[in-house]
Amino acid sequence: MRILVIEDDPEVADALREGLEAEHIDVAVARTGEEGFYLANSATYDLVLLDLMLPGRNGIDVLATLRKRGIQTPVFILTAKDAIEDRVLGLDQGADDYLIKPFAFPELLARIRVLLRRGRAEQILAFRHEDVEMDLVSHKASRGGRLLDLTAKEFDMLEYMLRHWDRVVSREMLARDVWHAAARATPLDNVIDVTIARLRRKIDDPFEAKLLHTVRGVGFLLGRKLA
Amino acid sequence: MRPLFFSVRTRLTLWHAAVLTLIVCAFSAGIFLFVRVRLFADLDAQLSREILAIDRVYREEPGELRDLAGDWGLTLFQVSERSQLLIATDAWQREGLAHAPRIDGSPLSWIAPGGGRYRVQERSAPAYSVTAAIDESPTRRTLGVLAIILAVGVPLAVALAIAGGHFLAGRVLRPVGAIAEKARRLTAESLGERLPVENPRDEFGRLATVINDALSRVQDSFDRLRRFTADASHELRTPLTVMRSVGEVAVQRSLEPACRNAVGRMLEQVDRLTRLVDSLLMLTRADSGRIRASRETLDLGSLAAEAVDELRVLADEKRQTIVHHAPVPVHALGDAVLLRQALTNLLHNAIKYTPAGGTIRVEMAVSGSGEATIDVRDDGPGIAAVHQQRIFERFYRVDPGRSRESGGVGLGLAIARWAVEANGGRIELASEEGKGSSFRVVLPAAPRTS
Repeated sequence: MRILVIEDDPEVADALREGLEAEHIDVAVARTGEEGFYLANSATYDLVLLDLMLPGRNGIDVLATLRKRGIQTPVFILTAKDAIEDRVLGLDQGADDYLIKPFAFPELLARIRVLLRRGRAEQILAFRHEDVEMDLVSHKASRGGRLLDLTAKEFDMLEYMLRHWDRVVSREMLARDVWHAAARATPLDNVIDVTIARLRRKIDDPFEAKLLHTVRGVGFLLGRKLA
Repeated sequence: MRPLFFSVRTRLTLWHAAVLTLIVCAFSAGIFLFVRVRLFADLDAQLSREILAIDRVYREEPGELRDLAGDWGLTLFQVSERSQLLIATDAWQREGLAHAPRIDGSPLSWIAPGGGRYRVQERSAPAYSVTAAIDESPTRRTLGVLAIILAVGVPLAVALAIAGGHFLAGRVLRPVGAIAEKARRLTAESLGERLPVENPRDEFGRLATVINDALSRVQDSFDRLRRFTADASHELRTPLTVMRSVGEVAVQRSLEPACRNAVGRMLEQVDRLTRLVDSLLMLTRADSGRIRASRETLDLGSLAAEAVDELRVLADEKRQTIVHHAPVPVHALGDAVLLRQALTNLLHNAIKYTPAGGTIRVEMAVSGSGEATIDVRDDGPGIAAVHQQRIFERFYRVDPGRSRESGGVGLGLAIARWAVEANGGRIELASEEGKGSSFRVVLPAAPRTS
């Protein structure tokens, strides 16, 4: 998989490259809008990560020109600009998704996966990882054959984490995708932490093998990866 | 004794009246004296003419002196020859004018024993003397009437001057009142407004211009401060992004638990900084009025229920009970997102500071004055009076040691208050140490629509 990163700040660009390469993704970096446009125009990438504030030619302009030329590579906007108008402008010009700096890396990876999967949507009705099972139709979850008594939020959270099996899920991801909150706030963070703790008591405490892990400073992980 | 205080308007009026009184009095005195001198001069001239006539008759036809009274109306005179009284009219003798003092040549005033006032003059020749008198009471009456007119007219003029001065001072000072009223309503949020300048070249125009200039400078420094906060928040995001990305990748790749833990702790602080920067940016945008609260009819009951449901799990953890009591549907006009955030922050605050096992009540009501209220009450330790004023300030902490560990940034209540005020409401705090606190959100109620 090849991703083009158009980002003028060398530190941010390096951090992105390092993080993406750790996920076995090939990364090309462009430091200016001109260079980025040239690369996107001349080679094939699976995805473009685009910063909006670029010297010379700005991100919106690069995006608009690419789309005008018929290049349909998915474009993911990364911006420190949080003004709503900029996001709307970006999406209007044909961007596929956006994240505001500073973003959580696991969230960026999760969204990139969603973007690349788009088009071949999979209708998942049941999960099975290790001895955890979830049936979305009957709305039941169990571990080791034992039915888990979950609240609605705990169920949604478990479902979300099963979808991201063995991957870190950040608090932002949970806030947005499970609680459908517009913005992160301290009270919600506490709620997420408490809900995780309660879910852990139900899914992990009676069992030898622990599955729900806290990745300090990053988020939570359901899986075997850290074990 | 307290020194007397007069408004500028009163002082202006009094000065104006005092100066005018002085001028009118001096003028009246001048007129009175002038008229008096003129009238007596006329009287004396007439007396001189009469004496001359009597004198001629005496010299030419002495026998006709007696007829003068009848023919000429000259009824008051005497003629003497070598201090021998030759002739005196009846009226002369009746009034006792023979006793009047006389100086040769110049007229004098004399009051007769009968009360009549006369002007008396004598003309002496070596052989004889002619003395005549003229009744001066008509002249004195005229002067009396003039004095009365002036005595009544001056106070009247002064009264008119006071009334007119008061009116004029009011008119002149009205722009000052308008400027003061406008300036009183200025707040940090409405610094963009300016005082009206009607005529930039008159005194009030200059005053308004000077105040406007000062406002511009104040606004400028406010703007610079806001811009600085916005720019600083913005600039902080790039290094935070890098720290976060590098840290998160490192945490997931590192196999050394101690190292993972160290980076994780740093990431937690990066996260805290990020939230701080976000909150600062949000408040800066709010301060500069760039966040507009929408106004829709909201069911406060369901809004509060959402906030309670979201945070109930936190209360459960502390074995606290949340009682949500909404006996009647309460509607208000406002922005759902902002008000929900305000309620969530208040509720979170209550859960945080109420000890385990406590009770938190959320109660809605419509007050008689048409206001919707939401009370968030706890039976926690309460807030000391010294902190109550400042608890809504940004970064203010009642106990600096305590809340730092809970990870908040000290902006929850500041944001709550801003969010409520942006919706045209207010937050009232009632708290007593040891008895709990009550935060009341007061909002303009919406007309109930069914």
